[in-house]
Amino acid sequence: MPPKVDLKKCDGCKGENEPLCVSICPGDLLFLNEESVRAVCRSPRDCWDCMSCVKACPQGAIETKLPYQLGYYPAKLIPLMGGKRVSWTCIGQDGKVERFTYKNRN
Amino acid sequence: MLKGKILVVGGGIAGLTAADRLGRAGLEVVLVEKSSANGGRVAGLHRYYPRLCPPRCGLEILVNNISGLSNVDMRLQTELTGVQKNSPGIWTVTLRNTKQEADEYQLKVDGIILATGAQLYDASLIKEYGYGSLPAVITSMEFESLFRPDGPTGGRPVHPVTGKPLKRVAFIQCAGSRDKNHLPYCSGYCCAVTLKQIEYLHQSCGDIGTWVFYKDIRTPGSKEEYYRHVREEYRPVFIRGLPSSVEYEGGKLIVRAEDTLSGKKVKGDFDLVVLAAGMVPPVLPVIDGLEKDRYGFFPGHTPCDPTELRRSGIWAAGCAQQPMDVEDSVRSALSAVAQCLVKLHQQPSAYPEVNKKKCDHCGRCAKECPYGACILGPDGYPEVYPGDCRSCGICQGGCPLMCINLPGQGIKKIEDVVDRVLSGGVPQPSVLLFLCSNDAYPAWEKLTGQGGNIEGLEGVVPIPVPCIGSVNMSWINEALIGGLDGVMLAGCHPDQCHHGGGTSLAGTRLQNLRETLGRMRIEPERIYSTGITIDDTERLLGEIRRFGDLLVKMGPSPFK
Repeated sequence: MPPKVDLKKCDGCKGENEPLCVSICPGDLLFLNEESVRAVCRSPRDCWDCMSCVKACPQGAIETKLPYQLGYYPAKLIPLMGGKRVSWTCIGQDGKVERFTYKNRN
Repeated sequence: MLKGKILVVGGGIAGLTAADRLGRAGLEVVLVEKSSANGGRVAGLHRYYPRLCPPRCGLEILVNNISGLSNVDMRLQTELTGVQKNSPGIWTVTLRNTKQEADEYQLKVDGIILATGAQLYDASLIKEYGYGSLPAVITSMEFESLFRPDGPTGGRPVHPVTGKPLKRVAFIQCAGSRDKNHLPYCSGYCCAVTLKQIEYLHQSCGDIGTWVFYKDIRTPGSKEEYYRHVREEYRPVFIRGLPSSVEYEGGKLIVRAEDTLSGKKVKGDFDLVVLAAGMVPPVLPVIDGLEKDRYGFFPGHTPCDPTELRRSGIWAAGCAQQPMDVEDSVRSALSAVAQCLVKLHQQPSAYPEVNKKKCDHCGRCAKECPYGACILGPDGYPEVYPGDCRSCGICQGGCPLMCINLPGQGIKKIEDVVDRVLSGGVPQPSVLLFLCSNDAYPAWEKLTGQGGNIEGLEGVVPIPVPCIGSVNMSWINEALIGGLDGVMLAGCHPDQCHHGGGTSLAGTRLQNLRETLGRMRIEPERIYSTGITIDDTERLLGEIRRFGDLLVKMGPSPFK
C-alpha cells in the first residue's frame, strides 16, 4: 500500500531539487509538491511496497501500510537504519511484535 | 604579508577606522559609501563628548591616512545591493553607483565589514511632541547643525526660525525610546549627547535656561562623571517625567509634564525643544543566513564575540551592531578588524570531509551549516572552506547518508561501542552518552576525572562531540539496534548553543526519531536529551543516574 507522508515531519529535504525519497523510488512514484515543499505519491496503486523511501527518509516522515494480503490494520512493518545494521519491526494484526536485525549492505 | 580583499560598507567613523587599519595592515580594501561624502553622521556633529573636541580633527586624520594608502579604494556614491556566496571563502558582492541607476557591477572579496551605521528614529511619529509640524522642535542631530558654519544659522546658536537669541531650551530625553509604541530599547548615547549640548549651549549663549525632561539619566562608566560635571557647572533643571504635550502659543513652545518625583504638574515655555531620538537599524540587502536581533541590528555572539556573525567572513562594526556612541563605534570597528586579520591569518581548523562516492548531493549540509562554510560546488557536491568552518559538525549530524564527517568523528566510533556491547564488554544498563565538548564534556570530566566512570553506572560510554547538533540519528539507531539500552544527549541549552541552532536541530531530529520508536513499540524514553552548562556537574550526575534507573526499570533493550 502506498507511502503515507507525515506533512509535519517531511521538510522536502530542505528545498532540494530531488529529495531522497524521490530519487530512490524505483517506480518513480514520488515527487515534490513545489507549493507545499512536501513529498507526494503520484500514483498510490503502482507502489510495490519496497519501502526504500521509508528507509531513505532522514526525517522518518514516511510510513507504508501493509498490503491487505499480509495483514490488516494495525499491522505494521517499520525499518530503522543504523550504520552496519538495519532492523525491522513487524507488528502483526494481533499486536504481536517481532524484530529482525540484518547487516546493512549499503 | 597578509593577502586578501575586504569590502567595508559605510564611510562613517566605524567604516573609515576599519578601512584605515586594514589598509595599514597591507590588505586590499574597498570602502563604499552611499552618499557623496565620507564621515557619515559624525561629519554632522559639532563636538564630541566628553572632551568637546571637534569631530573633523579625527576624521581628517583618517581620510588623509586612507588617501595616502594605494591599497584602499574609496568609492563614494556606491551602494551595496547584494551579497552572495558562490564559492567557499569568497563573497560575491553587487555594488551600484547611486548616480547612475544602471551602473551595477560585481566584486569578489574575502570578507565584508558591515559598518552601515544606523538611522535616526523618525521623531514625527511621536505625535505629542509636534516634530515636523511645530516650529523650533528639532532633533538632537539638527541641534548639532545650529553650531556648524554650514548649518541653517551659519554657526550661530540662535532660534532657527526667527534668528533671535535663545533664552530657554528644553531637552526631551527618550524621544521614542524605551516606549513600546516606538522603540522598546534604550539607544544608550542620547543622555550623554544632551549633556554635551547643554555644555556648549551654556558656553556660547551665556545667560540661558536649560531644562531636561527625562525618564532616567543613563551615563555608565566615566560618563557619570561628565553628568555630574554638567549638572553642577551649568545647573540645568532636571524634570523626571516625559512631557505629555508640546504646543505652540504666542511664539513660545509650551511643554507640559508631570514631575514624577514631586508628583506636581509642570509647565514651561521655551524657544527651542530638542528631541533626543534613538536609532533604528540600517536597511541592508538580504544576506542569506545572517542573523539579526529582534529589532534588526547585528549584535553578534554576545558577550564572548560581539563582532562575530554567523556567516564566516562578515563582521559588523559600529551602530549596525547596536546603537552606540562614537567611542564604542571606533572600538567595535577595531575589534572587527582584529577578527578579520585573525581569520585571514589563522591555520584552518579541522573541517569535515565529503565521501563523494556515497553523497547524493542532497544539500542538507549546506542548508544546515550555521556559518555558510559548506556550499554545493559546481559539481554538485558539498565543498567546505577550511577558513570558514568552525568545526561544529552540524553537517555530519544532518547528513542522511553519513557521508560528511569531521576527522575522527563518524559512525565507526559507535560501531566499536556496539561491538563491545555485543561481546558483553559493557555492563548494564548500557548507555551511549553524547556530550557537547563546549559544556557538557568538561562537566563530565570534572565528575569522573580523565577516562573515569560513574560508580554503579559503568555501562555509560561517553562520547564527546563538537556540538550536540553533530550527532547523526543513524548513530543512535545503530546503538539501539546493536542492543544498547539507551542513548543520552547532553548538549547546551537551546539559547546558549555556541553554534546557534545545534541544540534545536538535534531537538527536531530526536522528536522525529522518538515518534518512529513509539510506532515500533520501543519506549521513546530510551532517548533522553538535556541541556547542561559547564558547572552543572551535580545535575549531570543526577540526570545520568535517573536515566540509568529508568532504563533498569524498563528492562533490557528490545533488540537484545
